[in-house]
Amino acid sequence: MNKLILGRYLPGDSIIYRLDPRGKFLITFYFIGIVFLANNVVSYGFLLLFVLFSVYISKINLGFFIKGLRPMLWLILFTVLLQLFFTPSNDPIWHWGIFTLSTDGMRIASYIFIRFVLIIFISTLLTLTTTPIEISDSIESILKPLKVIKFPVTQVALMLSIALRFVPLLIDETTKIMDAQRARGVDFGEGGLMHRIKSFVPILIPLFVSSFSIAYDLAIAMESRGYKDGEGRSKYRVLSWSRRDNIALAVMILITIILLFIRSY
Amino acid sequence: MENIISIKDVTYTYPESKVSAINKLSLDIHRNEWLSIVGKNGSGKSTLAKLIDGLIESESGRIIVDGQEVNEQNIWNIRSKIGIVFQNPDHQFVGATVEDDVAFGLENQGMPRDEMVKQVDEALAMVDMQEYKTRDPQSLSGGQKQRVAIAGVLATKPSIIIMDESTSMLDPNGRRTVLNLVKQLRKQQDMTIISITHDIEETELSERIVVLKSGEVVQEADPKSIYNMGSELIKYGLEEPFSNQVASLLRDELKLPKGYLNEEELIQNIWKLSSKM
Amino acid sequence: MEIIFKNVTHSYEANSPLEGLGLDDVSLTIHDKKFTAIVGKTGSGKSTLVRHINALLKPTSGSIMVGDREITSETNNKNLKPLRKNVGMVFQFPESQLFEDTVEKDIMFGPMNFGMSESDAKESARKMIKLVGLEEDYLDKSPFDLSGGQMRRVAIAGVLASNPETIILDEPTAGLDPVGRKEIMDLFKNLQEQGRTVILITHNMDDVANYAEEMVVIHDAKVVASGKPKDIFNDNKLLKNDILTLPRSAVFAQKLAQREFSFPQLPITISELTTEIKRQVHGD
Repeated sequence: MNKLILGRYLPGDSIIYRLDPRGKFLITFYFIGIVFLANNVVSYGFLLLFVLFSVYISKINLGFFIKGLRPMLWLILFTVLLQLFFTPSNDPIWHWGIFTLSTDGMRIASYIFIRFVLIIFISTLLTLTTTPIEISDSIESILKPLKVIKFPVTQVALMLSIALRFVPLLIDETTKIMDAQRARGVDFGEGGLMHRIKSFVPILIPLFVSSFSIAYDLAIAMESRGYKDGEGRSKYRVLSWSRRDNIALAVMILITIILLFIRSY
Repeated sequence: MENIISIKDVTYTYPESKVSAINKLSLDIHRNEWLSIVGKNGSGKSTLAKLIDGLIESESGRIIVDGQEVNEQNIWNIRSKIGIVFQNPDHQFVGATVEDDVAFGLENQGMPRDEMVKQVDEALAMVDMQEYKTRDPQSLSGGQKQRVAIAGVLATKPSIIIMDESTSMLDPNGRRTVLNLVKQLRKQQDMTIISITHDIEETELSERIVVLKSGEVVQEADPKSIYNMGSELIKYGLEEPFSNQVASLLRDELKLPKGYLNEEELIQNIWKLSSKM
Repeated sequence: MEIIFKNVTHSYEANSPLEGLGLDDVSLTIHDKKFTAIVGKTGSGKSTLVRHINALLKPTSGSIMVGDREITSETNNKNLKPLRKNVGMVFQFPESQLFEDTVEKDIMFGPMNFGMSESDAKESARKMIKLVGLEEDYLDKSPFDLSGGQMRRVAIAGVLASNPETIILDEPTAGLDPVGRKEIMDLFKNLQEQGRTVILITHNMDDVANYAEEMVVIHDAKVVASGKPKDIFNDNKLLKNDILTLPRSAVFAQKLAQREFSFPQLPITISELTTEIKRQVHGD
């Protein structure tokens, strides 16, 4: 759990870190969209080059990105193998029962693999270089238009940032409670399914109790500091859009144009 | 002396509890005094702090803060005059970073950003935490988190600060820095400080001590008179001041003056006895 | 049981950019049936150290002998129950481990996990609740209806109920008022005098002076001193480097030492202090 949520942001400094999180957020989603425009070796190669270049200027070790693939490994393997052996073809290299291996299949499988790599690398780049609070700020900013339909954007954003703030605390609390119960003879992951489920009761109840007590304390502390209901608040954190963010967007448009050109080529 | 807080016949019982946490309690707190409220766990100290700030509502009696009665209507006004630093450093840190947390109270007031930036910097300077401005709470020690909490309170410029067992979860180092900070603030500006504690040694610098037991005020006097009670303090769940413990063990053989002696006075007296010999 | 740490190193998040040393080549013997205090600043590695004794953490290298049981990096997670039955652990703010709907069931939880019969566990719960200073009728209450101090006592009873030979205490009195603190500390001292090994992590040097027979000082993941409290509190090197603070009696003596008093060895308890003052005032 620790590695999934916390291992994400990696403190550092480079041009990618300094980009406005809203821009990074949009670019990431935009890029994931245009990945699906690629249709041949040159276009995939071009996108791969772009991603590797971004990784390079982020000054983050490539190892972190490869690690990012790991949780998705089974899904990637499954999809690639599916394409590799189940792509119908009139000209198979090898054929056995329902399995068919062909050059078409091999090509599509490698495209799919590259597509996974592109999407995972670019989103890893976002999470490694952007703090959770910056992401929550960007979401608030992007959702702002919803205020028109009375959607409580500021409250949701505050909720999100407080939730992010308390994740590490609750992880610590969970570890501590687990240790305490293990010391009292609980064996997690031993015995049948029912036994395993039951062994989590001594964790879950204390965790609920302490979450409620944290929530109560926090609510009291917030109220004592004058928090009413989120209306009439000003904002201390500001995001600043600068020239480099415009350049980043321009680069994305350029990439789209090149991609469209290569595609029809 | 002018009263900044006046509590009259206040009673409060927690839901689902049979006994009252605060029982017909009356107490006046003077403007710009440093008042300590002591008593053992469960004597009603923290409940009293919450009542004063209107965080919980009394069943009967009334509380006046700076000329205004604590009620639905005045509550936000009153809260802006009072800053509370709570016990658990982790449970009151709202912001994602130090500066965000300090700004929280100012954001609630709707203060323009330029002004906020100035106030946050000022408040962080007062608690000597400027260099930690962009750090996240996970990377701070307990004592540092409490200093940030104090900065968050100072930023809103309250006239009353309540320290609700703010040092009880800290290690000795953290406790020392927080206590020194309060002493220093006390010297620098006019404010009323209410410190709630069960550590008798933290009360030495206050002007008045109120002892609570079962939700009632059982003693109310200056520190010296309270310390004079000696071992009777144990009845209220408190420890005798260390110099008192030493003095009472010495009195069977040495002639020391009667009454409470602070550490310096005791050393002085022991020294006099030894040089006469 | 004697506990022996042999060159124990523990690194957190090994092979990651966040890698850090929790313990750095620690060798140490904790003697059987003694009261040992472990002191050191927050984050120095005290909690990491004691979590190795019941294999909640395993060493990255080195080994720990607990009685005749050896714990190394290879130690399997299976079959740790006999070890954990014998090493009871009271965590910081242990009240947060309570979860059953009655106090009795919560106290019985540990013993029954360790294979005690229901009737024996009930009997043990009855004994323990009294031992920690609560009335027997608390057994039927919900632990969540109790005050913080009472919950703390119930949690301690739950650890003691398995009748462990070694008891590890991680700041068991944090946040309690002075009277409650003394009661709890006296309880542990009693248990030790009845023949158990007690290991106490604390920041309170008066507790070390008053209760402990042995003392271990940890600094930056290393054991920098171990021995009798009196000797260690008189070790100028530790005091000068701000690794250790003194009990109040020793501080008082230091102040007297500036006024014609002399202490070849600083007294660490209040009775040592007052005896020495009387002796010097009377001039013998």
